[in-house]
Amino acid sequence: MATPGTVTGPAHHAEIDWESAARSPEFHELERKRRSFVIPATIFFVCWYFGFIILAGYAPDFMGESIYEGFTVGYLIALSQFVMVWVLAGLYLRRANRVFDPLAKRVAERTPGAQQYLGGGPGNGTPATRPTGPRDGRAGDERHSGEVTS
Amino acid sequence: MTIPIAEVNVEAVSIFGVIVAITLVITYWASKRTQDATTFWAAGRGITGAQNGFAIAGDYMSAASFLGIAGLIFLFGFDGFLYSVGFLVAFLVVLFLLAERMRNSGKFTMADVLSFRLNERPARTAAALGTLTVVAFYLIAQMVGAGALINALVGIDFSLAVIATGAFMLVYVIFGGMLATTWVQIIKAVLLMTATIVLSLFVLGKIGWNPIDLFNRAEAQSDDGHAYLEPGLRFDNPIDTISLGLGLVLGTAGLPHILMRFFTVPDAKAARTSVVWAVGLIGAFYVMTTFLGFGARAILGEAGATGGVDEAGNLAAPLLAQEVGGGDGTVGGDAFLAIIAAVAFATILAVVAGLVISASGAVAHDVWSNVIRKGRDSEHEEVYVARIAAGVIGAIAIVIAVIGGSDLNVSYMVGLAFAVAASANFPALLLALTWKRFNTTGAVTGVLCGVISSVGLVLLGPDVRSDPLINLSQPGIISIPLGFLGCILGTLLSKPEGKAEHQFEELHVRSETGIGAERPLEGAGLAQRPRRPQRPQRKVPAGTGATPIR
Repeated sequence: MATPGTVTGPAHHAEIDWESAARSPEFHELERKRRSFVIPATIFFVCWYFGFIILAGYAPDFMGESIYEGFTVGYLIALSQFVMVWVLAGLYLRRANRVFDPLAKRVAERTPGAQQYLGGGPGNGTPATRPTGPRDGRAGDERHSGEVTS
Repeated sequence: MTIPIAEVNVEAVSIFGVIVAITLVITYWASKRTQDATTFWAAGRGITGAQNGFAIAGDYMSAASFLGIAGLIFLFGFDGFLYSVGFLVAFLVVLFLLAERMRNSGKFTMADVLSFRLNERPARTAAALGTLTVVAFYLIAQMVGAGALINALVGIDFSLAVIATGAFMLVYVIFGGMLATTWVQIIKAVLLMTATIVLSLFVLGKIGWNPIDLFNRAEAQSDDGHAYLEPGLRFDNPIDTISLGLGLVLGTAGLPHILMRFFTVPDAKAARTSVVWAVGLIGAFYVMTTFLGFGARAILGEAGATGGVDEAGNLAAPLLAQEVGGGDGTVGGDAFLAIIAAVAFATILAVVAGLVISASGAVAHDVWSNVIRKGRDSEHEEVYVARIAAGVIGAIAIVIAVIGGSDLNVSYMVGLAFAVAASANFPALLLALTWKRFNTTGAVTGVLCGVISSVGLVLLGPDVRSDPLINLSQPGIISIPLGFLGCILGTLLSKPEGKAEHQFEELHVRSETGIGAERPLEGAGLAQRPRRPQRPQRKVPAGTGATPIR
């Protein structure tokens, strides 16, 4: 493995048709679906969290009010932040597994040169059952030699 | 340090010994497998999502959060808990914006993502500067903290404690690389979670299993009365509170040792899973800091033992363990104190190892291989340089910590590390991944603006100067916008960069879909669990459903 040129950054892949991938309807749909989750979720958590921080900064008396036997408003809102993080993370995970991943897979299927990235993980592409057109879908070990690094 | 231990705590040293022995065996095992660069930096990308979740938790929850936050809550009540909330919410930024994109587009370091479409040498140099600045502050704070804590808890001399911590950290990184570092972090996360759960249960048992009563008991023991349960004891300036929140939430997404963890998993799906695991673990831990912090106030206060806690509050949790275990001088009390001390030690080791390997990445992979040698050296040379770099970085940190001694004021350093990460690293990374027009000049000016403004504000602020020029102890609220502004103005005021815009498309598609992403090494996953038989993966195509027939 002591060949020069293996220490550069991530290899560029000139063999993949990036333009066609970027223009594909599947990629647009992936971007749209991702945004339609991430943007509202981000707005929500930013408001909820900074609302909490601003209240802590400017309304200490309100935050110190007891709701039940010394359990304060501030502590309740603080705990709600934990619940919010767990719920949003869980929702994102589910959405990504069910919606984003299949879309990304379809982009890879449609993109010339990208078939070896189906499913992402090693061996998941099942190249034996999927003839991939003119490109050699199993460039395999050769890929790491980074011949197209700039 | 006024903890009532005059001589070396033999029990604690024995537990240290067991932990260290286990980690050294793992390091030996890892060193056999660490020949190539991908194993050294990224554990062959064979770490599973769940394993990486534990490792992120172990990498992230420093002694500052275990002992520091318990101490801050003990001292300042509610304001201490603000840290707990911020440290956790930060992971939503990581999950939504960076985890998968880093995995898809990077290789070993943060700089890989920037240099993918920007000019290699300036972009890498800037990213390396950001990484090394964050690591410098974080690492020195951890080393000084380690020395002071081990000195107080175990009775070992400060310098010896620092040198021992540094030596183990270097053994893990130099011989075992990321594989050993990962497993040290996983073990630490398990130890820390277990210890915290047990300690929380003891606290709850002591107060009659009524968590709400904890607040009243803590309030009754505080000199500040009801203000102890209100915000404002730690930060009297609301702007500081907001600035802290901003720095914590955006800083995590720019911490090089956390971002580097995403290169150790096979794909973006595992990166995402690992954040969700980490969020579960870290969230559970920070909820329990309530029991440690308020519990220490209530229980130590009632026992009249609050005088034993040091000024920074770091000894609140260990003393609490001693008290609920039966008190000073009892078998249970001393054993519990020894266990907590050993867990704190493991906590520090895991964090400093993660910091050193990310710094050695910046030096060897970014500066040496790609700036000085312009990518013409071999993997063998890169790993060799990485080991030397780790040794030098570790040695510098040890020397600074020993010379500075336990009097070195490190309280602001972790906050500063987060501020630099949020102001220098995060804006450049985010814009490189999402803004087509972004260029090299923008990245360089952004990183410089972020580093200079956050460090400058702290140097001029109340934590360093007795006559502060700016009355702001948390720089984030000014330095983060300056970091973004540096990126944006630098880009718009310089010429558009054809290559950067042209290659944006590749980076964009790659970061969103994983097409073109670096692959795991063959058998890397098996290397983690040698005896697990490889299962046939036939169900994958069927399980994903709706595969269109073309």
